[in-house]
Amino acid sequence: MTDHEAYRDEARELLAELETSLLELEQTPDNQELIARVFRALHTIKGSGAMFGYDQIAAFTHDVENAFDLVRARRLSVTAELIGLTLAAKDHIRSLLEGGGTEEGEGIAAGFRLLVGDAVKAAPDQVAPPTAADGQDKGSKTFRIHFQPGAGCFLNGTNPLLLLRELAEMGQADAVARIGDLPDLESLDPEQCYTAWDVFLTTTSNENAIRDVFLFVEDESKLSIEPIEAQEKKLAEILIERGAAPAEAIQAALAEQQHLRRRADSAATIRVPAEKLDQLVNIVGELVTVQARLSALAGGSGDPELMFVAEEVERLTGKLREHSMSVRMLPIGETFNKFKRIVRDLSASLGKQADLVMEGGDTELDKTVIDQLSDPLVHLIRNAIDHGIESPEQRVARGKPQRGTVQLSARHSGAHVLIRIRDDGAGLDREAIRARAIDRGLVSADAELTEEQAFELIFEPGFSTARKVTEVSGRGVGLDVVKRGIEALHGSLHIASRKGEGSTITLKLPLTLAIIDGLLVRVGQECFVLPLSNIIGCMERTEEDIRNAHGRDYVVVRGEMVACVPLRRYFGIGGEKPAIEQVIIAETHNGKCGFAVDEVIGHHQTVIKKLGGLCRKLDLISGATILGDGTVALILDAERLAAA
Amino acid sequence: VAKTIMTVDDSASVRQMVSFTLRTAGYEVVEAADGVQAVERLRAPMHLILTDLNMPRMDGIELVKRVRQDPVHKYIPIVLLTTESQDSKKQAGRAAGATGWIVKPFQAEQLLAVVKKVLG
Repeated sequence: MTDHEAYRDEARELLAELETSLLELEQTPDNQELIARVFRALHTIKGSGAMFGYDQIAAFTHDVENAFDLVRARRLSVTAELIGLTLAAKDHIRSLLEGGGTEEGEGIAAGFRLLVGDAVKAAPDQVAPPTAADGQDKGSKTFRIHFQPGAGCFLNGTNPLLLLRELAEMGQADAVARIGDLPDLESLDPEQCYTAWDVFLTTTSNENAIRDVFLFVEDESKLSIEPIEAQEKKLAEILIERGAAPAEAIQAALAEQQHLRRRADSAATIRVPAEKLDQLVNIVGELVTVQARLSALAGGSGDPELMFVAEEVERLTGKLREHSMSVRMLPIGETFNKFKRIVRDLSASLGKQADLVMEGGDTELDKTVIDQLSDPLVHLIRNAIDHGIESPEQRVARGKPQRGTVQLSARHSGAHVLIRIRDDGAGLDREAIRARAIDRGLVSADAELTEEQAFELIFEPGFSTARKVTEVSGRGVGLDVVKRGIEALHGSLHIASRKGEGSTITLKLPLTLAIIDGLLVRVGQECFVLPLSNIIGCMERTEEDIRNAHGRDYVVVRGEMVACVPLRRYFGIGGEKPAIEQVIIAETHNGKCGFAVDEVIGHHQTVIKKLGGLCRKLDLISGATILGDGTVALILDAERLAAA
Repeated sequence: VAKTIMTVDDSASVRQMVSFTLRTAGYEVVEAADGVQAVERLRAPMHLILTDLNMPRMDGIELVKRVRQDPVHKYIPIVLLTTESQDSKKQAGRAAGATGWIVKPFQAEQLLAVVKKVLG
């Protein structure tokens, strides 16, 4: 990465942050912290712009920065005009950054000079009051809680973990278990509690409320609660304060430091090209494979020393894999933030009033998933505002608040992330959808549709219910694009709606695309992996079944005829098929489909490796994985295979 | 799956009030009129026992002791329903192996708070 690219990268990020802050500032014009953040972003863009030779950016940003210097000094107030002008300025800086045009720049800069000039004239003698941009939330305190339950606490039916959970619910908590008193396995009495905990809790509750948590156990437990200063400390300081430094105490102190550091919001980060991470994940994937072979060899050798080493390697490899995967995870909030601007601009251009409410911005997802998620989400949000939210007059007439709300939330659910887009607009009109679908020939006129089936129709290609085609979302590109985008991410989409009350669209996405859960099967000497997400069951197929089917390739699943693809014939694999074949039943877009194989080996979680350039056109195969014994298994794309 | 709570009290009205509160909050409730009946009805899986102290045949403290000696049910949390004056009983209960206590008279919210604390 050259210095220039680094600057541009950083500037792009700062601009995005600037936009977010501006939009927030529009809501809370007196927020000194936001004003300080805007000023800082502008200052950095200007300063490093000049350093890297982007003189135009530096000169232009100078005028904008001046205006916010006055805002900071409370000599210029935050108005819609200022925000609008600054957003325009942000766009202009962005186009300068990409080497774009300069025509409107002078106009914007002049606008700022006018604002600044007025403010200076209006209050020439005013002395800037000191700004107290104090980000610390008031009223919350941090406590160090040491809790050692009585040894017999289990016998009283007490579960210490519930108490810790209760503490965690009071605020932001980090806990360290102290297990130094744990005896060796032979003398361990499982009915005794040997563990103590140090909890660092930042909460608005007071000491008594914390003590109340331990109400039932206080008498026989050791409990100490002391407030600690909410500022970052050197490890040594903490150790000296405590007087002693056994290994455990250091660990606890480290957790304390981390807790406070997070409070101070100064987490150190390093910028790494995504490519390097991909390489890392790739290498770890290979390592996992080699490690599996090592474990297999060690197990077969019966050499205890070798087995010990192999186990250790296994443990470390597992950790390494977990960590390298987690590095690729990013909070989805950054993507969410982009949408604020979209909502603002869009509702303004449509003469509607809508707010975007976001939840769960810290939910983490694989970078690849996040990157590919942006377009579908934009589409859904545009759709919610364009077709969902009514005009202010209509809303008032319907007894709803004048401003509509679009809620965007993300949360984890097992190995998936659920993203929900909810609006409080007009909702879907089931009959209108049905009529349109019949009109478009998507369903027959006498088709019985459940509500859900009717709603699903809006994701069919060539469907559009909007009475008039608007500039915004009626561009001939329907929601089917969204559906395909989500399915390409191995995700799914669900829609619920009530007429007059609004709609909710829920996207279910896998946490990562780099690992899949698959079913390992064998045909002849070849191994294949089928993604588990498609599979609904397995069954046997005997010679007699084939005779009953008159030699045709189908199987009967619960009374339903299902086409069956014999993989042996399909891939031209030699050898005789066994007397009893296994048929994997998969659920695809084209209905159920069976795949006949020789043997089902079992569940296989694997790191996907992409095939090289030569094989890129083989769309039936989505990748490959290396098995424990070193052989390669191809990962089949059940969707494509069923369609073929 | 709803968690099951046993309420042990010789007063039918107290049992009724406790049952109503807990059922409304989504718990399954089993009732017992005294310690003896409680021990008899301890066959089904139980997540929590709420017991009065003064009861005929077998009192609350004795019930706690019995449950704590039962190899299957010994880890069930037990909460005592006491009156303010019985602080010594509270200590005795705790020593016998009670998990916690709630002081009578109590409000529905207080009861649910204690149940949540002990059951998670």
